[in-house]
Amino acid sequence: MLEIRDLNVSYGMMEVLHGISLKVEDKELVSVIGPNGAGKSTLIKTIMGIVKPKSGTVTYDGQDLTKMSSFQRAQLGIGYVPEGRRVFGRLSVEDNLKMGAYAVKDKERLKKNISRVYEIFPRLGERSRQLAGTMSGGEQQMLAIGRALMLDPKLLLIDEVSMGLMPIMVNTCFQVIKELNDEGITILVVEQNANKALKVADRGYVLETGNIVLTDTAENLRSNEMVRSAYLG
Amino acid sequence: MFLQQLINALTIGSLYALTAMGATLIYGILGILDIANAGAYLVGAYVGWYIFHATGSIVLAFIGSMALVGLGGVVLQRTVYSPILAKPRTLSIIPLVAAVGLFTMSSDAVRLICGAGTKAYNLKFPVMVYKFTVFGKKLTIQPAWIMIFVLTAVLLFILWFILNRTKLGLAWRATAEDAEIAGVCGVNTSYAMALSYILGYGFAAAAGIMTGILYNSITPALGEVPSYKMLAIIVLGGLGNPLGTVIAGLLIGIAEVFLSVYFNLPIPKDAIAFVVLIIMLLIKPSGLLGRKNKV
Ligand SMILES: Nc1ncnc2c1ncn2[C@@H]1O[C@H](COP(=O)(O)OP(=O)(O)OP(=O)(O)O)[C@@H](O)[C@H]1O
Ligand SMILES: [Mg+2]
Repeated sequence: MLEIRDLNVSYGMMEVLHGISLKVEDKELVSVIGPNGAGKSTLIKTIMGIVKPKSGTVTYDGQDLTKMSSFQRAQLGIGYVPEGRRVFGRLSVEDNLKMGAYAVKDKERLKKNISRVYEIFPRLGERSRQLAGTMSGGEQQMLAIGRALMLDPKLLLIDEVSMGLMPIMVNTCFQVIKELNDEGITILVVEQNANKALKVADRGYVLETGNIVLTDTAENLRSNEMVRSAYLG
Repeated sequence: MFLQQLINALTIGSLYALTAMGATLIYGILGILDIANAGAYLVGAYVGWYIFHATGSIVLAFIGSMALVGLGGVVLQRTVYSPILAKPRTLSIIPLVAAVGLFTMSSDAVRLICGAGTKAYNLKFPVMVYKFTVFGKKLTIQPAWIMIFVLTAVLLFILWFILNRTKLGLAWRATAEDAEIAGVCGVNTSYAMALSYILGYGFAAAAGIMTGILYNSITPALGEVPSYKMLAIIVLGGLGNPLGTVIAGLLIGIAEVFLSVYFNLPIPKDAIAFVVLIIMLLIKPSGLLGRKNKV
């Protein structure tokens, strides 16, 4: 479904990703774990077209994404939950969700998706008219996930869903991620919380200072000595 | 007397709001101070003048000038502003300098092409002045004022409608807040930017024509006062806030008319906008409807 080959990404003179290759198969849930500054967000932003790679390719469903703008990638069904939520704070909850479905032309589908998001996160339904900027961090995280779901994504990219959330919210979020994957959405999660990320994932990659240093099934990674000592503590 | 002054003030103020609206829309979405809006105001007044004198139709003059100047704005956005902003780590002074350059160029181009002299619209209304008696006071209203008031209200209503009641407007507001995320939601953000330029430059052109009709004269210097007064208005309104711009425009109109009528001010009328701005910024630094900047 998603294949990344020899990806090099730089910010100005500084190279951040050094020739990374990675694959996500249809209906898989894959986690990329790694420490601060490893380049996890950069990887996801490159897949989304926010950051342009210096070299290498990103292929999705057999199509080369490299030359496409972000909005065209969204139209292909790639949903994105950004790091730090980044909801539209001056728009209402419902308008945020409508924005998530911007690429969806069918009005019926839009309505259906909104009620589905409200079903998954009843809290959002109760606050549909509230300005997103006045919601709590956890509520904003739900909204960021809900917004990405409005697209009916075939591939969902999730950056650091656990950041700044209390443990019970983290569990809820990962449970939702697992359920979405069971429904058939292919998911790539990028996480510092390796423990949680590897519990739900099928496979995982370890990214350190711009290089993939290890890849295996999630189960094997969890029992791997190096991963245990560095990430599972 | 008071009512008469209030009517004058609101007429001038609504013209100010319309003139500054383009700069607000562009700041809202691109984060740049586009002084060249004052060039759109000047060029719009001249294009309108030529169309009016070629066709005899003021309606055609408005439509034609707004469309041409609006499209010109999109061309500038595509060829000047967007390429500058696409460069990594652009200093915010660079697009501002470009805008000042474009504005100066537009004034000189108008002077070269159309001549340095004054041109008169000589628009004939069926009635040149209406006289009323309200509460025993005599009141005169020029049809040009009514035209300005009604047309501005209609244009601002159209703007409000697009921004708040259409999908395109939702995309505009989202792009203004976070263009990157609007993009990954599926918005072609360069359309949202083009919308700002079409509407913004189009509104400035309409304001230019109305000013030309109101004072019955246009010169190549027409854009000079708006080029700086516009800044006071958009900052006063809370940068990038369309509703704030309307309120600020009316407020400056009121301040100018009343202060110069009732007080013998030692400063020129065109400086009043800045006095109001300074007082306002001391009270509320983010402007009338501005938000505190998030860090
Ligand atoms: N816009 C930018 N300009 C310059 N350097 C950047 C930019 N964004 C990220 N970097 C740098 O690139 C490196 C990788 O950043 P990235 O955000 O991808 O890391 P990360 O793995 O997501 O870290 P974290 O776990 O803290 O979110 C860091 O050294 C960071 O300082
Ligand atoms: Mg990150």
